[in-house]
Amino acid sequence: MITETPLFEAKPDDSFAIQTFNLTRIFGKVVAVDNINLNVKKGELFAFLGPNGAGKTTSISMLCCLLKPSSGTALVMGHDINKSPYQVKSVIGVSPQDTTLSDFLTPIENLELFGNLHRLPPKQVKERARELVETMGLEDRANDQVRRFSGGMKRRLNIAMALINDPPLIILDEPTLGLDPQSRRVVWKYIARLKKEKTVLLTTHYLEEADFLADRIGIIDGGKIVALGTALDLKTDMIDTRTIVVKAWNLAQKTIAQLQEKYEDVQVSNGTMTITDKQVDFKEIVDYLHNSGAIIRSAHIKEPTLDDVFINITGKELRE
Amino acid sequence: MSFLSIFKRTLKETYRDALALLFLLAFPLVFMLLFGFAFGGEISVNYGVGIVDNDQSEISKGFTDNALQSADMLTVKNYASADDALANIKLGNISSYIVIPEGFGEEVMLIWQKLPGEIKLDLIYDESDLSTASNIISIINSVARSYANIEIPITVKTNPINIESKITQMDFIAPGIIVFGLLIMIPTAGRIMLRDKGTRFLQRMMTTPTRPWEFIVGYSLSMVIIAIIQVFVFILLGWLFGMDIIGNIWLALVIFVLTSLCSIGIGMVIASLAKSENQGEALSWLFSMPLAIISGVWFSIEFLPSYVRIFADSFPYSHAVSAARAIITRGAGIEAIGSDLLFLVIWTIAVFVVGTFFFRRNMRS
Repeated sequence: MITETPLFEAKPDDSFAIQTFNLTRIFGKVVAVDNINLNVKKGELFAFLGPNGAGKTTSISMLCCLLKPSSGTALVMGHDINKSPYQVKSVIGVSPQDTTLSDFLTPIENLELFGNLHRLPPKQVKERARELVETMGLEDRANDQVRRFSGGMKRRLNIAMALINDPPLIILDEPTLGLDPQSRRVVWKYIARLKKEKTVLLTTHYLEEADFLADRIGIIDGGKIVALGTALDLKTDMIDTRTIVVKAWNLAQKTIAQLQEKYEDVQVSNGTMTITDKQVDFKEIVDYLHNSGAIIRSAHIKEPTLDDVFINITGKELRE
Repeated sequence: MSFLSIFKRTLKETYRDALALLFLLAFPLVFMLLFGFAFGGEISVNYGVGIVDNDQSEISKGFTDNALQSADMLTVKNYASADDALANIKLGNISSYIVIPEGFGEEVMLIWQKLPGEIKLDLIYDESDLSTASNIISIINSVARSYANIEIPITVKTNPINIESKITQMDFIAPGIIVFGLLIMIPTAGRIMLRDKGTRFLQRMMTTPTRPWEFIVGYSLSMVIIAIIQVFVFILLGWLFGMDIIGNIWLALVIFVLTSLCSIGIGMVIASLAKSENQGEALSWLFSMPLAIISGVWFSIEFLPSYVRIFADSFPYSHAVSAARAIITRGAGIEAIGSDLLFLVIWTIAVFVVGTFFFRRNMRS
């Protein structure tokens, strides 16, 4: 349920880059972001993971001061998003979900424009623009108009533009959306490099991305944070069942029936048996199958994925 | 200076997109010519006529006060001297004046008594307004004839004001066409801002500490350059078609530049309000075409109902047309068009303030 704007004063805590206090946004009858209370530590790479329409971009738009919260507030590097939007804007670098570049400008000109909009000294703007073009591997095309760039190159520039003002907090909204796996890896490498020096807030609906990059993950669904922690925490804490996968020949119907009686979920297809329950003993199952005359070709314990975590919490798959 | 960066960027986006630039410059020109040929002309139903009565006889008073005053299509005003009347033509208060010579009454009496006499009236009119002038000649002729109640035609000595040069039909039409060209800058003025809204580039720029006024000024400046180029092209074109500027060309330029600023400002307001490029474009056409028609760029708006005229006069374009026409065809100076000029200045400032207000409101929805 939506509550009123809290009466308490949002107290800044120096160790946090972002603090939200009952942050809420309602569009008509839709509650896009529902009373989110979240702390992102300085120097942390925090990932908002959730399906499309979960409220990730709405949350980010509020943190960037592009959207007014319906109620609640947030502190970004100690500045209140409702009271001092321009101070907030001067300490963040934002890479939006859509690749938004000025098409008839070169990458240098695009970067310089944003450096100037951030009111950096002209000399510094020129130096940083040059530097970033090199970091992103675009130096060969530095003087070509952006409209002739490939999707991957545009994406890299899209991220670079968030870094021109050397902000302490970088916000990346779906930084690899629509990229091929190879380009995605390249972008990941850059983001991983950032993580050592900056606070990064990232949204994604790619599980691998959150798993690979994030220090902490907040799973968001229906405008609410439904789970919060490291990838490992989420997998171990949120999943209370274990799954064993056995490939075997000569699986007797009787054996399967007996296992189905004993364990919560037993599925068999094409000689692969998947057994899931809160308590499954790997050795016991393998021994039992062996003794029943089955010929075991392989057997392993399946590690839970973030997708399992997501299904477990929300009852639906992340990718639809 | 953030607004200068936005200005430079918009300018680059504009001139590097050759097709768009061509469209931007050629479009108003084509439109101007098209509408110029379709609507060029003047329809007017009421003419201001000045009277300089040098005779001051019963007959001359009767002629002016009874006969001319009762003519439906004339509004008669009395002036003490010819100079006074001429000054009012320049101010645009009247479109012609009649000088009644001394001895007019005696001549009329002679003719009434069937004795030889010659009735002479001097009609001085603003020839820039060709159709009006010919209408006035025929109206006054017929009034004089019916008043004198005789068949002998009265010699109306037409005395066109050829102050400095020969005035053509183009002199009259061109100022209206130029103002029209500046009016239809409304749909193009907000084009880049609306496109940036569509691609969300504007939203991205809003994540920097740039202030609303810097966006408005930044986006407008590149259009101001285009507007100035356009004003020169329009004047050049008018000149090629035979338009002569009798008054001060710089004063005319000031009027045109202010008019274009108003158009850009309106474009900014619409772009700030519109949610998409299509919406913005539709909105600006819907707004600017009717406004063009009721602002008197093609024909006199005297025949329009008063509430439509009041509405039209609350926008800058009818003022721009009358001021530009006064300068170009009548050589009017700043004292004659001062109120129009002031109106344009106030409008320009106001529209940009309003634009910034809407932009700010839209910035954090």
